[in-house]
Amino acid sequence: MLKIENLTKQYAEKKAVDGLSLHIKPGELYGFIGHNGAGKTTTLKACCGILGFEEGEIYVDGISVRENPIACKSKIAYIPDNPDLYGFMTGIQYLNFICDIYKIDADTRSARIRKYGDAFELTMALAQPISTYSHGMKQKLAVIAAMAHQPKLMIMDEPFVGLDPKAAHTMKGFMRELCESGGAIFFSTHVLEVAEKLCDKVAIIKGGKLIKAGTMDEVKGDHSLENVFLELV
Amino acid sequence: MLKTLLKKQIWALLAVFTQGKNGKRRAPLTAIGYAVLLAYGVGAVGFLFWEMSKMLCQPLAEANLAWVYFSVMSLMATAFGVIGSCFMAKSKLYEAKDNDLLLSMPIPAHTILLARMIGLYLFTFMIELLVLAPALVQYYMVAGCQIPSLIGGIVLLFVLPLGSTAICCLVGFLLAVLTARLPYKNFWSVLGFVIFMAVYFTVYSKVNEYLGYILQNGEAVGSAMKTVLYPFSQIGFAIEGNWLSLLISVGIWGGLFAVGYWVISLTYFRVITMKRGERYAKYKQRAEKQSGVVFALFKKEFLRLIKSPMYLINASMGTFFMLILGIMMIVKGDLGGLTPETLTAMIGDEKVMGLLAALAVCFLASSNTIAASSVSLEGENISLVKALPVTEWSILRAKVYLHFAMTVLPALFCGAVVSVLWGLVWWEIVIVFATAVIASLLFASFDLAVNLKFPNLQWTNEVTVIKQSMSVMIAMFGGWGVSLLPLGGYFLFGKYLPAWGYALLCMWLLTATTVGLLFWLNRKGVKIFKALSV
Repeated sequence: MLKIENLTKQYAEKKAVDGLSLHIKPGELYGFIGHNGAGKTTTLKACCGILGFEEGEIYVDGISVRENPIACKSKIAYIPDNPDLYGFMTGIQYLNFICDIYKIDADTRSARIRKYGDAFELTMALAQPISTYSHGMKQKLAVIAAMAHQPKLMIMDEPFVGLDPKAAHTMKGFMRELCESGGAIFFSTHVLEVAEKLCDKVAIIKGGKLIKAGTMDEVKGDHSLENVFLELV
Repeated sequence: MLKTLLKKQIWALLAVFTQGKNGKRRAPLTAIGYAVLLAYGVGAVGFLFWEMSKMLCQPLAEANLAWVYFSVMSLMATAFGVIGSCFMAKSKLYEAKDNDLLLSMPIPAHTILLARMIGLYLFTFMIELLVLAPALVQYYMVAGCQIPSLIGGIVLLFVLPLGSTAICCLVGFLLAVLTARLPYKNFWSVLGFVIFMAVYFTVYSKVNEYLGYILQNGEAVGSAMKTVLYPFSQIGFAIEGNWLSLLISVGIWGGLFAVGYWVISLTYFRVITMKRGERYAKYKQRAEKQSGVVFALFKKEFLRLIKSPMYLINASMGTFFMLILGIMMIVKGDLGGLTPETLTAMIGDEKVMGLLAALAVCFLASSNTIAASSVSLEGENISLVKALPVTEWSILRAKVYLHFAMTVLPALFCGAVVSVLWGLVWWEIVIVFATAVIASLLFASFDLAVNLKFPNLQWTNEVTVIKQSMSVMIAMFGGWGVSLLPLGGYFLFGKYLPAWGYALLCMWLLTATTVGLLFWLNRKGVKIFKALSV
């Protein structure tokens, strides 16, 4: 579903990502961990086609991000680390905007907005301007918008930050549901316990370089993910 | 602490010259180039006031009423300063993005207020300089330049904007308090602006009448000033070298600033932290509707415009101008005394009416700057739109469409009214209507192109990009230039062509420029937008 080959992204003199390669298959929930400034967000943004890169190639469902970014983006949902959504829209206007862009028909979108809105207990607030939302509400709205167009690949940057425990639990359920239906998720997190329990595979990045990747068992063995991470990083 | 906050404000102001795309530093030569461009724009506006000063100064000075001249000019400067800063005072004082950050630090709220008021003062100072500098030079040329008068002039240059700033801040304060309690605050803000503009136009349409009255009744105006507009009369005496009047003026304007600061500071913390929010609207589940991608992007741009009174009022000024002017022309039956007869007498060529009508529409259309800040307004959210499966060209087109849609209808309306009032012939009407359409598209593309060349995605207050950015400045002055060039060209080359031929040539040039700009946006513009990031 997502194939990153030898990705290199440079900011002035500094290599933010250095020759990173990863392969995420359909149905996989892939965690991406690393210290602050390790290159996680840069990698995720490059995968979404919103950040250019110097070397390497990224394929989404077999399509090159560099050559056909629009086709790739139509298969992706991206949730940034800071869901600073359009404050001038109401929640429902934002969801309709996203659904229009992804060409979701009226009936399907109505049903999905109802389903995910209710699940995240945000339905009542959808008529409110986003500028009045709390961080957690914005995060929920970003997730609902992503789920509303049922992406094949979901790329999330710190998705659990700001979510209450119930919403975090609901989201984990939907993440698993998406993967079981053949989709894939690639997300960064600093919450190692969540990554350990939720992910099928995990990649650890340090200074822009991939230092370990594989199934959870392959990466952590008999230790906890936290111990392995601290040892490696 | 105040110094640090002021430094931050000045950096933001200077960033226009020093900061390029993606926050990178501009080359010094480029920064100088922009400063020269700014000087040109300032010079163009200053020239208008220079001409006005010339008209008033000599006759009043000869009648021993030089002080009345300067009182009138200072009144004009104050009005100009208030109009220029009034609509951003609320946003500048109360709605900055860094409110929470600053309030979370051990900085007293009144210090934040003072820093912001000084920031606004600097902006008002620059606006008033456009009136006061030519007025002063004219005064010294006519009445002579004595040391007390020179000192008075320099002091007043800095003191006068204090009063305008205080007035703007008090208006901003009242708006902030009132709109915090009112439902539909955007509606009330825009309504207030429309009423203000209607009053402004009524006064503006009589400016020549007022100037004529001042020239003929200098004595009477002077004695009225001494009573009704006492502070302005003192400014007039101060410029003549009267130390006591200078002292009184400093006291009045400085005092006004101090009182304004004190009044606002009493409630500043409360108002800035008073987030009452809008009436809570509950969402009722319903069947949603689907629309096309381009329309969805257009709607997004439209919502951004109408949900921000600051953006709507400042960037759609041309729309309001044209609608209000059109309605006033219908009601009054003329264009502020500008009839084909008076214009023919003024220009000495009756064939030029169609061209003049077309240029007037073109000029008014150029006052809209919606697209000139539309890229910058994406701000730190730019990744949201870039992550969508749409081409960059669709995103840019939506911005052009909005600017075009907001401009073309009022331009056609205004053109229709002028055509009827001036009794234009059929081919002139065609030219006026075609100009309305092409100019609207031209300015939409031009403004967007300029914003792509001068984007600013890292702003703390939307005022910075809507009103004080390089792109808006170039869009505005460039638009005026484009509107006036054909008129100048007519006087140079009009004799070689029939009026309709010259008009057709202008139309062809406008169309070719528009097509060129759209082509540039589609190629280079898309590449620039693609490369933008925070």
